[in-house]
Amino acid sequence: MPYSASIPEPAPPMHHRPRLKPLGTPKSVVVRTDEHGTPIYVRLPGKPARRVAVIRERWRIDDEWWRHTISRDYLTVVLDDGKALTLYHDLLMDAWYMQRG
Amino acid sequence: MARSRASAQSVPTRQGRGWAHDHSTDNDWLSTAAVDTSWASGPGAGTVFQPTTSRASTESRQALCLWLPTFELRLELVRSPELDSTSVALLSPDERTRRTVWQVSERAHEAGVRPGQLVSQAVSLCTSLTLLEPDPAHYDAAVDTMLEALTELTPVIEPAGRGRVFLGMDGLERLFGSSTRQVDRALSLLFRVFPSPLVAATRAGVAPGKFGAWVAAASARSGRPVIVPEPRLLSFFTECPIGSLPVDPLVIQRLERLGVRTLGELRRFPEPALVAQFGEEGRHALNWATARRIDPVRPWHRPRPIRVSLDFPNPIGLTGTLHSALDRLVERSLARPARRGRSVTGVRMGARLEGGGSWFVETVLREPTSDRERIAAPLRAKMAIAPPPRAVETLLLELTEFGVQSTQTQLFDRNIDGARAAGELDFNQGEVPVSLRDAVKELKLRIGHSPLYRVVEVDPWSRIPERRHALLSFDP
Repeated sequence: MPYSASIPEPAPPMHHRPRLKPLGTPKSVVVRTDEHGTPIYVRLPGKPARRVAVIRERWRIDDEWWRHTISRDYLTVVLDDGKALTLYHDLLMDAWYMQRG
Repeated sequence: MARSRASAQSVPTRQGRGWAHDHSTDNDWLSTAAVDTSWASGPGAGTVFQPTTSRASTESRQALCLWLPTFELRLELVRSPELDSTSVALLSPDERTRRTVWQVSERAHEAGVRPGQLVSQAVSLCTSLTLLEPDPAHYDAAVDTMLEALTELTPVIEPAGRGRVFLGMDGLERLFGSSTRQVDRALSLLFRVFPSPLVAATRAGVAPGKFGAWVAAASARSGRPVIVPEPRLLSFFTECPIGSLPVDPLVIQRLERLGVRTLGELRRFPEPALVAQFGEEGRHALNWATARRIDPVRPWHRPRPIRVSLDFPNPIGLTGTLHSALDRLVERSLARPARRGRSVTGVRMGARLEGGGSWFVETVLREPTSDRERIAAPLRAKMAIAPPPRAVETLLLELTEFGVQSTQTQLFDRNIDGARAAGELDFNQGEVPVSLRDAVKELKLRIGHSPLYRVVEVDPWSRIPERRHALLSFDP
């Protein structure tokens, strides 16, 4: 009986496989807050701390409780040099991040 | 009544009676309407007010602004001097269904006619009003003449809409003397090509940077230029109205509602507060108000356009005939030797109309092309929206902007005929253009892997930003 099964293609080597890179990943920043938890100073990586001049917007995200719970307090702020940033406070880890998107 | 007149294709000569239509009072430049800042967002606006960090040798910090208010109407009155002492209004060139008034003479202004009014309103306010059809070809020819005349003074010339031009004045004092003498020299050059009533209405302002020169010109009176030396620039701005800022009119409106009337009052606000309220426009406004931003005059390079035209033995009003004529004109213009080796990015179609006047539409192409259909299609669409108001005696076509001839347009080209016929090509299907495949191959040889990525949607509606999109390596 002839052997009719086709020989499977060998898997491409690792370095030829499609690579997926995340977009818009959060970056850690140092934030000093007041007694109410509102940010007053932000230090971006490799830069001096800047005062938060205005908080333009604020919203909360609580999601994915069925796997790894996400609980974030998002803020859009303007620093005293005019730079606008989106920050969030990870309420579970008590850490601050900067994020695009 | 709409007045018909013979169409003059050349610029006006020095003729006409004394000018009496400078209806601007000492303070009317304080109103937003008088200080029309549309030139900062009109044609060529991208080069009008650009921040600069480095100064090229061709740029000029010291600027002279020459401004002829209601330039188009003044040209019409020079062409028809018998209208000089009557109520005249120029119709807007844009609207075709509900015609509005664009510019008005002093007498019409006294009768209550204002720019932006509907024709019916204007006529009811002033029954003796003479309405003139705009003639853009005539106005543009006058602008070209003005620019050419001023090149005798300085090569650094930057037009900012019709009737407004910036001249770079750096280094001219050795040739022509003080700033006052330089202004006199500029006006004398205009006297050579324009009739004296037109030039006499010119406002001139000299200051460091284009914004300063513009504000100075707007505050000047005819025959009395305003010259602002650099040390006085900040104090000069203090009482200037915020309406002079070349920012979005909505920003000006909001500032006025907040009680901010002058640049001096604007300066009291901290930058973050302005940025928070108005975004980048707020920052720009503050930089201009504090004289931190000085925009140099940049020489304006305009490639010589390729012009072709077609005369009809009888005036044509049929759209189909005009479309056929347009196709022929596009073919002829593309066949010109001057076009070879270049793609087209900007094109303008016009017509000389039966009974005088002209009509124009202009378009910027989405991508550089030398394909007849891609050039003609947007013009046909524009013609459908704003058709010529009367029958056409001569159809004109100008290729105004050019790009380099590049094979790179094929790189991601899904619009080629074959691709379109076969439906949407997708890189997922392995249908990758040969040029792109070759480019990736070369990159892999040089750096070991393909550095190209595609943005793919992962969960575009996710509330978590990092879940929405990802980069997928692209290696055909």
